[in-house]
Amino acid sequence: MSSKYWAVFKISWENGLVYRLNFTLWRVRSVLQLLLVYFIWWTVFQTQDQIFNYTKVSILTYVMVASLIRAIILSSRAVDVSAQINDGSIVNFLVKPLGFIKYYFARDLADKLLNISFVIFEIILLVIILKPPLLIQQNFEILLFFTLATILGLFLYFAMAFCIGMLAFWVENAWGPLFLVTIILEGFGGGLFPIDILPKNIYDYVMLTPFPYLIYFPAKLYLGNLPTMEIFKGFIILISWVFIGWYLMMAILQQGLKRYTAFGY
Amino acid sequence: MAVILVKNLKKYYRVNQKEPGLWGSIKSLIARKYYDVKAVNGISFEIKEGELVGFIGPNGAGKTTTLKVLSGLLYPTSGSVRVLGYEPFKRQSILQKQFSLIMGQKNQLWWDLPPLESFLLNKEIYEIEDSQFKKKVNELSEMLEVSDILKIQVRKLSLGQRMKCELIAALLHSPKVLFLDEPTIGLDVVAQKTMRDFIKEYNKKFKATIILTSHYMGDVKELCKRVIIINQGKIVYDGLLEKIVNRFAPFKVISIDFEKMAEKEELAEFGKLDEFDGIHAKIQVNKDEVPDKTSRLLSKFEVADLTIEDPSIESIIREVFSNGRV
Ligand SMILES: Nc1ncnc2c1ncn2[C@@H]1O[C@H](COP(=O)(O)OP(=O)(O)OP(=O)(O)O)[C@@H](O)[C@H]1O
Ligand SMILES: [Mg+2]
Repeated sequence: MSSKYWAVFKISWENGLVYRLNFTLWRVRSVLQLLLVYFIWWTVFQTQDQIFNYTKVSILTYVMVASLIRAIILSSRAVDVSAQINDGSIVNFLVKPLGFIKYYFARDLADKLLNISFVIFEIILLVIILKPPLLIQQNFEILLFFTLATILGLFLYFAMAFCIGMLAFWVENAWGPLFLVTIILEGFGGGLFPIDILPKNIYDYVMLTPFPYLIYFPAKLYLGNLPTMEIFKGFIILISWVFIGWYLMMAILQQGLKRYTAFGY
Repeated sequence: MAVILVKNLKKYYRVNQKEPGLWGSIKSLIARKYYDVKAVNGISFEIKEGELVGFIGPNGAGKTTTLKVLSGLLYPTSGSVRVLGYEPFKRQSILQKQFSLIMGQKNQLWWDLPPLESFLLNKEIYEIEDSQFKKKVNELSEMLEVSDILKIQVRKLSLGQRMKCELIAALLHSPKVLFLDEPTIGLDVVAQKTMRDFIKEYNKKFKATIILTSHYMGDVKELCKRVIIINQGKIVYDGLLEKIVNRFAPFKVISIDFEKMAEKEELAEFGKLDEFDGIHAKIQVNKDEVPDKTSRLLSKFEVADLTIEDPSIESIIREVFSNGRV
C-alpha cells in the first residue's frame, strides 16, 4: 500500500533533480533572502546590544533557524494542483487507484527533502564564512518541541496550500488568493522579523491566525525562552489549525471533485 | 455477460451564460443564467467481453463525454452505467485496476524522465508483481517496437514514440477494458498502422473489451466489426459496420483508366459518374450488375486499367450524418 507513495516520492525526487537550473536559482533566491535579513539585523545591532528583548545572538540565530524552517515547511508544491486541474491532467489521477492527497503529500515530502539537504549545506557554508555568534540549542526538551512544531507546521502549510490550489475547481485563476496569502505570510509568518516585536495587542491577534505557526513559532521555540504557558497555548492553537486545515482540505476536495464530475472542466 | 452496460445515459453540461462586456459579466454574477449543453442525450448500448467497438461521430457528438462517464470522470445526469458490473463514478480501485482510459491528447508520462520511470510508478500504483511487470514491459515494447527508447527522456521522443509509450503505461496492469479516445491522432501513416495492428492484436490476444473513437475511418474499418454512430448526443446507428456499408452503399465503384479519351455520354448508361476527366472515370454500379457492366465496359472501350472498389467509408458515414437517422 505505502509502496505506492514511496514510488511517488522517488519519482518526484528524480524529477526534481532534472530541473537543476531552476532549483539552483530557487536556492540562490533563498540564500539571498537569508543574507538580506541577516545583514539588516546585523546592521541594526551595530549600535545597540538589545532590541525588543532580542540580543544580537538570539536574533541572528532566529534568522538562521527561520531559513531552515522555511525549507521544511514552506517548500510545498501543493498549489501545483491548480495547474493540473486547469490543464485537465488531473484526469490521470482520477482514473487510477491512487489517493489524491496522499499523492501530493508524497511529492511534497520529496521536494522538502531536496530543499532541506540544500539548506543545511548552505547554512553550514554561511556559518563558516560569516562566523555569526549563534545559539546552539542543547536542551533536549526544547529541541523536541521545536521538531514537533515544525512537523505540525508542515502539515498545516500543506493543507493551506492545497486548499488554495483547489480553488481552481471553481475559478480559472487562483493567483489572486495565492498572492494575498503569500503577502500575509511574509508579514505575519515571521520570516523577516520575530512576531513578538509587534505591539502586544496586535501580537495577540496575530497569534490566533495560522500564519505565525509556519515560521515564527518553531523558530521561537528553538531559542528556548518562551514561557511554558505560551508554549502550551501555541501548541493548542497550532494543533487546532492543523485539524481545521485538514478538515477543510478534505471537504474542499470532495466538493471540488463533485463539481468537477458534474461540469467537466 | 455484458462488460459495458449503458442505459438511457444522459449527460448535460450546465454552462453559465455570459454576455459580452463588463456589464455583461457583472449581470451574470448577480443573476446567473444557465443553459444546458446536452452532450449525451439518452443513449443505451451493451458491449460484450472481447468486443472491439468503434464509437464514431462528428466533432461535438458526445464521444469523449461518454468515455469520461464510463471512466468515472463525469457523473451521469441520469441513466445507468455499469462497467464490469461496477458503477464507474464511485471510482472504486477494484474497477480502476481493470480498465484504462487513453486520450490521444492527454499524457500521463512524466515529461522530464524516461518512460521506464513512469512505468515503474504505475507498477506500484496498480500493485503489479515484479515478474509480471517485466514480462509486460518486454512484451508490449516489443509489440510496439520501442524497446530501445525506454530510457530516453520523454521530452526527447517523437510524438509517435511517445504515444506508444503512453499506450504501454496504460496497459501494464493488463486492463480488461480499454477506452481509446482518438489514439491515432496526429500520427503519421506508418505509426498509425503500427498502432492499429497493435490494438487489433491486443484485443485478440487478451480478449480485451475495447471502445475506440477515431476520426480516421481507416482505423474503424480496419479494427471494428461493430460501430456505434452518435450524433448530437444520440445514437443513430448501432450494428455491424458491414451492414451499414451495404445499406448505404449497395453499389461498388468501378474505376477505369482509358487508353483513349472517352465521351461522357457513352458512359452515362453504366451508372452514376463519381469522377470523370476524359481519361479516368469512377462509376457507381449496383452490386449485382458489376460482372455484366464490367464485361460490357471492357468490350466497348479500350481499357488500360480497371479496378472494382468499395465506396469509401468516409462517404458512407457522411451520408449517415447528413441523413440524421438510419
Ligand atoms: N466541460 C464542458 N462544459 C460544457 N460543455 C462541454 C464540456 N465538455 C464538452 N462540452 C460540449 O459537449 C458536447 C460534446 O462534447 P464531446 O467532447 O463529448 O464531443 P466529441 O464527440 O468527443 O467530439 P470530438 O470529436 O470533437 O472530440 C460538445 O457540444 C461540447 O462543446
Ligand atoms: Mg472527443
